[in-house]
This record gives sequence, structure tokens and C-alpha cells, in this order.
Amino acid sequence: MTTIREEMWKTRGILFNFAMSDLKIRYRNSVLGVLWSFFEPLLLLAVLFVVFSTMFKFEIPNFPIYLLLGIISYRFFQNGTHIALNSLTNRSATITQIYFPRSIPGLSAGVTAAIMLIFELAVLGIFMVAFQFTPPITILLLPLILALEFVLVLGIALPLSVLNVKYKDIEFIWGVVLSAGFFLTPIFYQFDMLPQALQNVLQFSPLVQLVTMAHHVTLYGMLPSINTVLYAIGSISAVTAVGYLIFRKYQANIAEDM
Amino acid sequence: MPDYAVSVKNVSKKFNLFHEKRNSIYESATGFFQKKRHSEILQALDDVSFNVKRGEIFGIIGRNGDGKSTLLRIISKIYSPDSGSVDVRGSIIPILAIGLGFHPELTAISNIYQSSILLGFNKDEITKRIPEIIKFAELERFADTKVKNFSSGMQLRLAFATSVLVDPDILIVDEVLAVGDINFQKKCLDTIRSFKKRGKAIIFVSHGMAEISKFCDTVMFLKEGKVGKIGSPAESIAAYQDYLAKHPEINPKENLSNSI
Repeated sequence: MTTIREEMWKTRGILFNFAMSDLKIRYRNSVLGVLWSFFEPLLLLAVLFVVFSTMFKFEIPNFPIYLLLGIISYRFFQNGTHIALNSLTNRSATITQIYFPRSIPGLSAGVTAAIMLIFELAVLGIFMVAFQFTPPITILLLPLILALEFVLVLGIALPLSVLNVKYKDIEFIWGVVLSAGFFLTPIFYQFDMLPQALQNVLQFSPLVQLVTMAHHVTLYGMLPSINTVLYAIGSISAVTAVGYLIFRKYQANIAEDM
Repeated sequence: MPDYAVSVKNVSKKFNLFHEKRNSIYESATGFFQKKRHSEILQALDDVSFNVKRGEIFGIIGRNGDGKSTLLRIISKIYSPDSGSVDVRGSIIPILAIGLGFHPELTAISNIYQSSILLGFNKDEITKRIPEIIKFAELERFADTKVKNFSSGMQLRLAFATSVLVDPDILIVDEVLAVGDINFQKKCLDTIRSFKKRGKAIIFVSHGMAEISKFCDTVMFLKEGKVGKIGSPAESIAAYQDYLAKHPEINPKENLSNSI
């Protein structure tokens, strides 16, 4: 049905507004309000930084920046999909009272995560200055890699939002997937430190691809290989296509399942 | 251009009435192998057809649980029908509950924006109408108060004011006006009348037979999910009252709740 895609395209303009009101609701009744979207990652990244940089003494050049970039890239995925999970179930009142395109909450969860990502990148910038790290020119490719990750986030956020209405189990399964993903993605280690058998399996994870590319362009001035880029684009397109099909199948009866 | 605003053709809708609602994969998987059904089928609507013309106030009457709200949700696209079709010509706003899908943590003004933008109205148009909406709802002192602090009547006023002032082609009003005070009810009914004069279509559900006969041009009596009668207010109300007189026992639950 092209109508759902048309509908999604028409609503692109309101996703940002929706994401902003999401952030406002998220930080309601707090003194600092939306400023928390800056301070929260700052504090959290500081804690993770202290924990991992003292406990794991890997021989990774520029380890602080390596670690932070990995965490931020992963949190983009984590935030987007996690917010999407309950984006429809939290709005049952709205969904049973008015019709609006059911894709809006899931997609705007991705936009919310993107806004949070921008704050976290600012924090990364602060850390770069603090550690007197000058990034190579290839860092200009980082936005493209994050844009590709944004597609992945949307492609997973959309089916998660509708599946969680039908099956509450998804929420718990996805929580486990996200925790496992943190350790199975090269965030505080380098991919080639893993046993070969594990590498053979994990190399298919789009997140492994994305985070590795992000590390390469930001820290080491290395361009990702054509194969890596094509594989990442291919796998993310496939995930997004399947996600869209799942969304299309379940979106029509959302209100009935509430 | 066809002269109707809403055309409902042969719409049917079933619900699975789960006695213990299955909501997890494990339950679905195990339930799949169990012969005993945990659900029964509730035929909420059965082959319902009717048209609503522009400039018409179309009333729907019937007992609780006989499909009025399900029908309004299908017309508003919230539910999808199992079979049949609904053709809606123009923008539509449904007031199905005391609110318009309002978010309790957002202020009155943010909610006006959110609901009307979600319903597909233009943001700049809404910005121009915000003062009017707040004035109509008589909420000048509460424009930047969160809706969770509103009383039911205040929420209804906000919902109604938003609905009429963003100016949809079709307005659906479920039996919620009773929540407002007498003055506001009068204001609502006056507005609905002026809507009619401007060639808009209104679908109006009420249990107040006096209101129905005074305001509606055409009335449909929904009988257990089927069309019982479509005709003038007097004809349909007579059919409904006749049916009630013949079936005083039908809905024991309802009688019970009435007696409490």
C-alpha cells in the first residue's frame, strides 16, 4: 500500500515538533528541564569513562575518545529504539480518541534520539578539547555514518512500536538485546581483540559495522573500505525494509489492541 | 462532487472478546494448541450502511454496547472495519471522550497544537486561532496550565473549542456534551447549528431524546449492531422506544448499574 508511505512522507514536518514535546514530557517537573538532555549524558559518560578507563587497560590509542565515541554511537541506537518501544503504548488515550498516522510516534522516537545525540556529540567535543585531541579530516564523514545509523534506528523503531502493543514481551526481550548489544559491539575493546569465531558471527551486525567505521574516521584518519560501506548500506536497507513490512502489517489494528 | 460528506457502506466489525486477554507470545503459542477457546466473537456492527449529507445533523441512538461508539471510531479511522467501506469527503474531527486525545502532561495550548496537527491541520492556521479557542473554551486563566490539572468539564470545553475552531468539514460528537454545564451545552448546540448552516456535516450521538428530536435532521437507531431504522427523528425515536418496551430484560448488566 503506497498510502501508508505517502502518509508517512506527509507527516515528516511534524516529527520534530513531536520529538520536542516528547523531550519536554521526559524532563517534566525537573528544575533544569530540557537542560538535562545535556547534563544527563555528560554525567553518564563521565561515569562510564571512569569505570572503563580504569578497569580495562587496553592498548587502544586515544582510548578516552574511542570509548566515548563508541558509547555515544551505541546510545543513539539504544535511545531511539527504547523510546520507540513505548511510544504507542504510552499514547493509548490519543490513539483511541483521534486518528493520526501510526508511524508518527515511532519515527519521532528516532528524531528524539537524534536530538539527544547532538547534545552528546557536544559532550564529546568537550572531551576532545579536554584531552587535547585533534581529529583527522576524515571526521567529516562521521555525520554520514550517523545518518546511516539514523536509518537503522527508524527501521527498527517503527516495528518495535507496533509489536509492543500486541505483545508486551517485546519490551523485555528488547531490553536484553540492548544490554547484550552493548558488550557485543566494539565500544570498550577493538573488534580484532575478539576470538576469531565470535568475529565471524558479529561482523554481520550493522552496529559493529557502524561503530567500527565511526572509530576509523574519527580517530585514525582511515576511510572505511568499499566492502564495509556496501555491506552496511545493504544490511541496514534490508533491516529497514523488513521493519517497514512488519509495521504495515500491524499498524491497522493498533487501536483495537489497546 | 457528491452531495454526501460521509458514506458508510456495508460496514461490519467483530471483536474478539477475550475472557483472559492473551497478550504475550507464550500465551499465544500455548493457546494455539489448546482446543478450548478463550475468546468469543462479539459482532459489534453488522452490515451498517448510511449516508450523511452536507449541512445535515445526523443523530445516532441506541442502547449502550450496541455499536454506536464503534461506528464513530470506524468513521474517524481509529478502527478499521472487517468488511465494507467508509468514504469521508473532507476533514473530520471526532469528540469521542472528554478530550481530543490530550496528553495530561502538556499545557492547554500545547495540546491544542498537538491534537490538531496530528489530525492534519496546518500549524500556522492554528496559531492564528489559538486566542479564539481559549476564549471560546473560557480558559483564559488556564492556557498554560497542564491538562492533568483540568476538571472534566474544562477538558471537554477545550476539546470542543479546538474542534470547532480548527474548522473541520465533518464533526463527530459522542455523548460527551452532558459533562459541560448548562451554559456551555447551549453554546455547543448553538455552534453545531451554525456549523449546519455553513454546510458542514455533524454526526451526533446522544441519549437525550429531546435534544435528538430538536436538532437532528435524520436519525439512525442502531439495534444490536444493525441498522434498526433510518428516518426522521420522530420515526427513529419511536422505533427505539418500541424496541426498549419490548425488551426490558435484554441488558441485565445495564439494569443493574442503573439500580445502583
